[in-house]
Amino acid sequence: MRLHDAALGGLLLGLAAWIWWLTGFFPAFPGQDYGPSLFPRVLGSGIALCGALLLLRGLREGGPVLQVEEWARDPVRLLSFLAVPGAVLLYILLSDWVGFIPLAFVLLLGLTLWFRARPVVALPVAAGVTLAVHWFFAGMMRVPLPRGWLDAVL
Amino acid sequence: MEAILQAFALVFDPAVLGVILISAVFGLFVGAMPGLTATMATALLVPVTFFMDPVPALGAIVTATAMAIFAGDIPGAMLRMPGTPASAAYADESYAMTRRGLLNLNMGVNLVFSVAGGLIGIAVLVLCAPLLAEVAINFSSFEYFWLACLGLTCAVFLSNADPVKGVLSLLIGLLLATVGIDPSAGVPRFTFGEVELMQGVNFVATMIGMFAVSELLRGAVTVRGSGGAVVEQVGDVFRGLGAVWRRYWFNFLRGSGIGTLIGALPGAGADIAAWISYAVSKRFSREKEKFGTGHVEGVVDATAANNSALASAWIPALVFGIPGDSITAIVIGVLYMKGMNPGPTVFLENPQLIYAVFLIFILANLLLLPLGWAAIKGARQVLRTPRNLLLPVILLFCVVGSFAMTNSLYGVSLMLAMGLFGWFLEQHGIPVAPLILGLVLGEMLEQTFVQNMIKADGDWLEFFSRPIAGALGVATLAIWVLMVGRAVAGGRAPKAQVA
Repeated sequence: MRLHDAALGGLLLGLAAWIWWLTGFFPAFPGQDYGPSLFPRVLGSGIALCGALLLLRGLREGGPVLQVEEWARDPVRLLSFLAVPGAVLLYILLSDWVGFIPLAFVLLLGLTLWFRARPVVALPVAAGVTLAVHWFFAGMMRVPLPRGWLDAVL
Repeated sequence: MEAILQAFALVFDPAVLGVILISAVFGLFVGAMPGLTATMATALLVPVTFFMDPVPALGAIVTATAMAIFAGDIPGAMLRMPGTPASAAYADESYAMTRRGLLNLNMGVNLVFSVAGGLIGIAVLVLCAPLLAEVAINFSSFEYFWLACLGLTCAVFLSNADPVKGVLSLLIGLLLATVGIDPSAGVPRFTFGEVELMQGVNFVATMIGMFAVSELLRGAVTVRGSGGAVVEQVGDVFRGLGAVWRRYWFNFLRGSGIGTLIGALPGAGADIAAWISYAVSKRFSREKEKFGTGHVEGVVDATAANNSALASAWIPALVFGIPGDSITAIVIGVLYMKGMNPGPTVFLENPQLIYAVFLIFILANLLLLPLGWAAIKGARQVLRTPRNLLLPVILLFCVVGSFAMTNSLYGVSLMLAMGLFGWFLEQHGIPVAPLILGLVLGEMLEQTFVQNMIKADGDWLEFFSRPIAGALGVATLAIWVLMVGRAVAGGRAPKAQVA
């Protein structure tokens, strides 16, 4: 999925304007000309310049606003793509409640099976990796991985 | 002398040696798997090294990257798929050699010249870094400002991408670095009231997102039902190497020299070193017509170059705190986390740590010979690892690793956002390496810029008033002029695509 350079340039001009507007709320210090808003404004101007160049160049070249690659039209491959952020999103939403071990196992199993690994392989891999990661990070590294449903057991 | 002995004691500790060995195996595996890069290996290692002492932590990174850069050559030759971008320059040539039945020779050349090139890079690092540190001790904010500018400029100038998009990536990185408490006035900026954003954008979670998650997103669309690759078994890799040495020793020296130089330039690393030295090798070869048909000459240059660049990239990183490539960009983050703020003072205050890094470099390169040989022999088994199992497992590492960096879901959310953003940028031909350098150098650049503006009271000529600062400033501006000139010329004629 690819936006045309001109559209990208337009977006960047918007971003630059937004940054400039936000820097207006930074406090200024009397007698001090070079305050917290100086550097972001320099960067914002640079982004605006790049955006304008892309916009001009894109308009001269022409072409469709949005280019969609072949994989994005194939629902199965699109789902494969979405499965990656989807799994992370599920982890963010559910990990505190469900806990690391059950959730990581289910996500691993779900992903490997969706990517067409054989269940005989996917099951032990999902279980083994989940436990190994938990042992290493929660046990050795003392990372507070959420316990969730297994709170009473662990 | 005492510091050197201390360094020996630090490195030759059984636990440290254990860490080095494990990270060597990890680096070889990641490097040999197409789609997993040396930078990704480093990003995934950081959460693990977070809880270690400085020496094992740096040892893990040094070893894993040295191994990964070599191991990237293996699938390049066997499958025509470079294991890391640093091997991309000569993957076609290596594969052509394999098709001519020269796989054994190719692997041997890659292994031995990688080790030798790496040692040359290390020699330059060991000799130059302390000398430069003595010069750098007198640097003021003007020199640091221009050094940061030069590093960022090189990152854009030397990349193969469209210059406008390179600059854009850089500016976005610098902008991300302004999130959090402003370094000069102590005002929170772009935090939108979120407490977690006050400390700035977490660097490691960003790296994991940009280099690992975005790669997984690209891989996900082709992974379904894909198993591992089947490749042929390698025989005796050391046969015929003597003849290559005698014939191409000059190529080796030239490749290592170019690699060391490019690595030491802030902002450009092993992959660019390999491209340039391969191109130089072809340009000055007496047998140009043989390039691309499975000719070993260019491989000697390029494989030595990428390993030597890896070591010399640490020169600007250790001496000035300015990363030589995206791997050392992560290293700088690690150094700060360990309280070993990079810069000339670390050479005075903690020389034993610097010597320990040098020692680990030498050790890692010597270990590369036996371990690399084992990796070549085991490549058949390693490359059979099915990608459809690997991808979910790496995703879980990414989630847990970024969680560990903040001990909260903020790290995971940031990683996801940056992963999608990094994927979006690459889809639009915007390279992510300048962004990462911008993110690392943003604070230094802003701090020195604002300080200089206050010191000089807005007079730009003051920026050039000190001799070294002036020279650095002129060099930076010269590259900009060259870049704009090239962009204008490139706008008229279609640019030759290197990648």
